[in-house]
Amino acid sequence: MADVTRRQLFAGTAGLAVVGGLAAACGSSSSPGTSSISVGGKPKRGGNFRLGVTGGGSKDIMDGQNIITKPDQARLVSAFETLLLFDENYQLTSNGLAESVTQDNPNQYTIRLRQGIEFQNGKTMTADDVIYSFQRIGTKGNGLTGYAATATMDIAGLKKLDKYTVRLPLKTPDSTVPQTLGSYTFTVVPVGYQAYPHPQIGTGAYKLTSFSPGQQSVHQRNPNYWRSGEPYFDTVTITDFSDSTAQVNGLLGGQIDAMTDLPPSQVKVVQARGLGALVSKTGGWLPICMAIDMPPFDDARVRQAMRLIVDRQGMLEQVASGYGFIGNDLYAPFDPGYDHALPQRQQDIAQAKSLLKAAGHANLSVDLHTTNGAAGMVETATVFANQAQAAGVKINVLNDPNYYGNQYLKLAFSIDFWGTRAYLNQVQQGSLPNSPYNETHWPPKSGTGSNFESLYNQALATTDPATRIAIEHEMQQTEYNIGGYIIPFFGGLIDGYSTKVKGLKPSKGTLNLDSFGHGYRTIWFG
Amino acid sequence: MNRFRPSGVWVFILRRLLLGIVVLILVSFLVFLATQALPGDPARAILGRSATPASLAALRRQLHLDQPVISQYWTWVTGLLHGNLGRSLAAQEPVTTLLSPRLVNSAVLVAIAAVLSIPLSIAIGAWAAFKREKVFDTVSSNLLLVLAALPEFVVAVVLVIFFATTVFHVLPAISTVAPGSRPWNNWTALVLPILTLVIAVAPYVARIMRASMIEVLESDYVEMARLKGLPERTVLLRHALPNALGPVFQVIALNLAYLAGGIIVVEFVFNYTGIGSAIQEAVINHDLPVIQALAMLIAAVYVVLNLLADVATILVTPRLRTRL
Repeated sequence: MADVTRRQLFAGTAGLAVVGGLAAACGSSSSPGTSSISVGGKPKRGGNFRLGVTGGGSKDIMDGQNIITKPDQARLVSAFETLLLFDENYQLTSNGLAESVTQDNPNQYTIRLRQGIEFQNGKTMTADDVIYSFQRIGTKGNGLTGYAATATMDIAGLKKLDKYTVRLPLKTPDSTVPQTLGSYTFTVVPVGYQAYPHPQIGTGAYKLTSFSPGQQSVHQRNPNYWRSGEPYFDTVTITDFSDSTAQVNGLLGGQIDAMTDLPPSQVKVVQARGLGALVSKTGGWLPICMAIDMPPFDDARVRQAMRLIVDRQGMLEQVASGYGFIGNDLYAPFDPGYDHALPQRQQDIAQAKSLLKAAGHANLSVDLHTTNGAAGMVETATVFANQAQAAGVKINVLNDPNYYGNQYLKLAFSIDFWGTRAYLNQVQQGSLPNSPYNETHWPPKSGTGSNFESLYNQALATTDPATRIAIEHEMQQTEYNIGGYIIPFFGGLIDGYSTKVKGLKPSKGTLNLDSFGHGYRTIWFG
Repeated sequence: MNRFRPSGVWVFILRRLLLGIVVLILVSFLVFLATQALPGDPARAILGRSATPASLAALRRQLHLDQPVISQYWTWVTGLLHGNLGRSLAAQEPVTTLLSPRLVNSAVLVAIAAVLSIPLSIAIGAWAAFKREKVFDTVSSNLLLVLAALPEFVVAVVLVIFFATTVFHVLPAISTVAPGSRPWNNWTALVLPILTLVIAVAPYVARIMRASMIEVLESDYVEMARLKGLPERTVLLRHALPNALGPVFQVIALNLAYLAGGIIVVEFVFNYTGIGSAIQEAVINHDLPVIQALAMLIAAVYVVLNLLADVATILVTPRLRTRL
């Protein structure tokens, strides 16, 4: 099956990107054999797949276009699907609800829907549903996950060309629209759709039968699912767990078939008992964030010294038990525009000391804020504090349960977490003056790097991939030299599963368990 | 001579009930003030990392977090008196709807654990006292001492390893109660949590029972009863046992009240759907109405259990009940 990278998406001199051609080339790509050939043989029908997920609670929601907790992710993908689809290598494909998404010119896309796809209530999916879906996400008051990504879209100007074709005009050029259309919360819902407790009707492989936030949900096989043969389970049961101890016990005792976020220390335990640990090297990262406009980090030398203090391999071993790969203070490592030419940054305590001395912070003492948010956030802080002692820097780790309270994004020195994203999408989320989560207060208001936002806008407007990548490299070089992030490593997701579950493959995507077995449709009981 | 005046007992119960209400009113002040003093913004805590300014503003408006504290307290207390505990900030549904099924689940655990552990521990304690310094006493006393020293968490994990995951696979390792079903629908899942609770409570009660029974068995009136030639059975059951029970009721009440809060750990290990996990989550989420409701509930359980223990103690202690 061909991978559609963004580069290929926009191949063609006139900026005429054709995803559709590929649909024919990989016509059978949606059949299970292709995506799961590595494990398990021929898929079988039947069974109740029981999944245990941590991180939820009574604030769990069911909304086809929004998530708050991790169980929300697990539930969303069971019933709702996107126009484009990321594969397990985090490359965009046209295997989603759209047959093709083409960029007609820098300011306009055309979305052509696959015909004959029905929602779970038997209604045919049409252009009207797509328009409603975009409008719902694009309405600020709805507070949906995808809202920020609609900033460039002219939602009011969406036009139905025919029953299966939608024209999406843009307010400003945006070459990241296809990535947005592949984001798992940017789904197609039917006209009039509302969040639970209203009926949850999507195009997905399973239909919601019951849902108790913080406890459990049951999902029933959609017999009219549009991908022939799929899915395989009769039901999927998703149970909330408050802690991984009970989750691991449930897996070992056979009360659940798979679990999210197996602690690294439990990998060997689980494997020794004949169960599986799915180790996915995702692009997830835990940055140490330095606000570039707050002392002492308003001095680029101090930021540079901090970056030279990190023993990246050591941190990867200690925080993630070695499951992952080291970082170079740049995000989006799977993006075709990632600058691999920049030298790998190494620990250099002597250089760090002399930079600190030059900046007048020879005996620096600073607070580092963190919380038990994503796994590893606290450990990253404590390991860094340890490593910093060598350079004479005293770091006070403050583990604040209310970290995401009022102080978040206003701290000089903090730890945060991010999932996989393409480069420009990540910039839009975290590194622009109007980004929703800009921890480092990047970019600088004057001097080197102050042209960052205009470079970003240029990149969005550029349809020639080579030119755009050159611009992205320029942006990354500035971030590499004077940015506010320390990115010691890219972690992985480790999930546990019973070996009777077949079809799971390590994935580079954002979501656990191979994007929850691609919405529970590419996995089965052997 | 009327040695047992029911009216005296009723007056006593009434007085204690009124006192209990005063205590609960004071507790309501403390609970409300304490929860108000928690730092941070509930809206942020609920939405967490995925909060956007738009969703934050929307949630704050919905939650009426802008009202003054006094009026929030008044609304809460009057609601409380009408059986309306407010709406959960996180779950966006009435606290009663959120908590009642969990309350039933937890009550089932505690009740079964109490019904099993109380007679068992009284029997063990009494028998150990009767067979003082014989084999049964030595073995049971040492074993109980060891069990009493183990935290519930350790007990639970050991039980899981032994019965569910590693040695045998005879019982489920987790005890999640599916929504809409009752704990007893899946009774095998109840065995390990209940066993853990029994092991947590029984040693204390048994040891107090043994000590109390030994004291009674050495008393003059038991000596007298024996000298009168009463059968040993009658001496034990009619004379010794009731007198030994007085102090034990207090310990039982304290242990059951402890269970109402201490069940959190057990529910955590077994992923049991009860108030324990609700408390934990409510604290993380800053879900004030839920925290307040549960704090009031646990306070009420303490008040009621202490009342029951005092009444029971009085009923088995002639000296006390004639004084009423």
